[in-house]
Amino acid sequence: MPNTSEARPLVSFEGVTKHYGTVAAVHAMDLDIYAGEFLALMGPSGCGKTTSLRMLAGLEEPTEGEIRLDGKRINEIDSADRDTPMVWQSLALFPFLSVRQNVEFGLKMRKIPSGDRQQRAMEWLERLEIADLAERDISQLSGGQRQRVALARSLVTEPRILLLDEPLSALDANLVVKMQGVLSRLQKELGITFVYVTHSQSEAFAMSDRVVIMSQGRIEQIGSPKTIYRNPTSRFVADFVGSNNIFCGTVSKEGATLQVNTSVGCFSCSPDNDENSFPMGSTLNMVISSDLVQISLTTPEAANQVRCRFISEEFVGSIVTVFAELENGADFKVQVRQRDLADLGLKAGAVFYASWKATDVHLISESA
Amino acid sequence: MPIVIWQLVFFVFPLIFLVVMSFWLVINYRMVPGWDTVNWTKMYSKGYFWDTYWRTLAYAMIATITTTILAFPCSFALAFKVSATLRRWALFFLIVPFFTSYLVRIYSWQIFLNDNGIFNRMFDYLGLGPFHLLNNFFGTLVGYLTLCLPLAVVLQLISLANVDRNLIEAAHNLGCGRLKTVFLVIVPMAKIGIILGAVFTFILSFGDFVSPYYLGGSKPPTLSILIIDTTKSGQQWPRAAVVAVTMIITLLTIMFASVSAAYRKKP
Repeated sequence: MPNTSEARPLVSFEGVTKHYGTVAAVHAMDLDIYAGEFLALMGPSGCGKTTSLRMLAGLEEPTEGEIRLDGKRINEIDSADRDTPMVWQSLALFPFLSVRQNVEFGLKMRKIPSGDRQQRAMEWLERLEIADLAERDISQLSGGQRQRVALARSLVTEPRILLLDEPLSALDANLVVKMQGVLSRLQKELGITFVYVTHSQSEAFAMSDRVVIMSQGRIEQIGSPKTIYRNPTSRFVADFVGSNNIFCGTVSKEGATLQVNTSVGCFSCSPDNDENSFPMGSTLNMVISSDLVQISLTTPEAANQVRCRFISEEFVGSIVTVFAELENGADFKVQVRQRDLADLGLKAGAVFYASWKATDVHLISESA
Repeated sequence: MPIVIWQLVFFVFPLIFLVVMSFWLVINYRMVPGWDTVNWTKMYSKGYFWDTYWRTLAYAMIATITTTILAFPCSFALAFKVSATLRRWALFFLIVPFFTSYLVRIYSWQIFLNDNGIFNRMFDYLGLGPFHLLNNFFGTLVGYLTLCLPLAVVLQLISLANVDRNLIEAAHNLGCGRLKTVFLVIVPMAKIGIILGAVFTFILSFGDFVSPYYLGGSKPPTLSILIIDTTKSGQQWPRAAVVAVTMIITLLTIMFASVSAAYRKKP
């Protein structure tokens, strides 16, 4: 994790705006990207993450603002002269060239002599464990192998930054996990900057040092995966992370431990890491992460508890997500260990109790 | 099945008949069926046949190269530089010429190209000329282009429009300049359309009779004019058949070679 306060950023976006006609795809974006970090740009489709990446690659020109690489304005520099290679979602491999010729392409453009070119291409193919496929056609490769060719093609020129636009979205689930490992390891070994665009939280969280959450052309939050997960600063982020239960409420008692009145009951909250103060009567969003909730069949002693009706479960290995309904019909999610759930023997329609500690609640003011 | 019957009746049978006829004899201006190779040996031993053959081949080659080079900037601009609406209109106007008879279009060129024609009047006004634009190879080439250029543009356009834009961006992104990208990425990607356009141009101009006759002045002749002349002189249909069969074999050879080149993987 780079020291974000002192180091000069490798890339900075300063008030960058991109309009398509009257539509603003990216709005007044400020972002610093540091040398050697793995940064994920994440958000729903149409949030501006890909447009931002394409502006950095030089494939789109910002309508307003400045993009700097190493402190130098690069707005007008052609993509061909930037040395900001990108890996496409479609991979964009040249079908009329062999694997090796694809990898050599960037070196050829830099007028590297043929022998040297071939040697460097082969080194990268070996590094990505596909040297035996060098003379194959692209059409003869599997999805994972193509992925490796695309990476080798972009990295062969030894850039300082690699841009990746949802490169794993077309792969099978098990291959995605494998390629995540390949990407993480590669980034650590090379020590170069990766900027990774994805809509997948698991991909972003698994690999990146910092995550940028975007929505409607604006940055919602920048932080480590853990910060984004535990301390979302807006309702949008809390919602987007997907595993949170969010209730809107008003403060009915001030102090170190707040009392919050919501449509599903009154709860006490003492968030330990919130700088925000919530005065009496202010409205806020109460966020309860589904993995911080305990469940039981009998009324628990904890102060914060809700009565739930079991609806369904989603099994993803050792952890199960339980989908339940509160008395007023609101949805409630709980993540528990599969064994713990089996011990309770819950069936559809069964009633159980969910409870959580006052210190595990995260509060977001309504305006955010 | 109907398509097979259709092909047999209208394509294979006439072709077989053409080959068979090339072995017939002409006695007293009348065709007599037979199996004699005299038409083949007579035609192939004549210098003017081979002169005409190579000339026609060269004409068709020049027409193919000229058409392909002229068509490419046009189809490229239509595929990459204009709006979808303009592209649709352009496509429409490229097809419109085929509504009119080719003969009529060629005749109208005479008004433009003859020594007192529209072009020479314009040159005269500028103090230039007169230029002989008709009854020579230039006139023939104008005719070939009239016939082939719209088709070549359409075929190239279809191929270019399907080129994955990501590949063009990827080439830029890897340090390839704009012009280089055209030759290193766009042309290889659109190879099939470009070659098909060229093959059609070659086929059409190799066999064309109208342009070399009406705009080229029929002298020196091409193979199609030679066929007409041969049939006229002494009812030599079997020898005309020899020319026709030679043309068909030439076209088939060139077509197979080009199409296999178009679909071959490596450049």
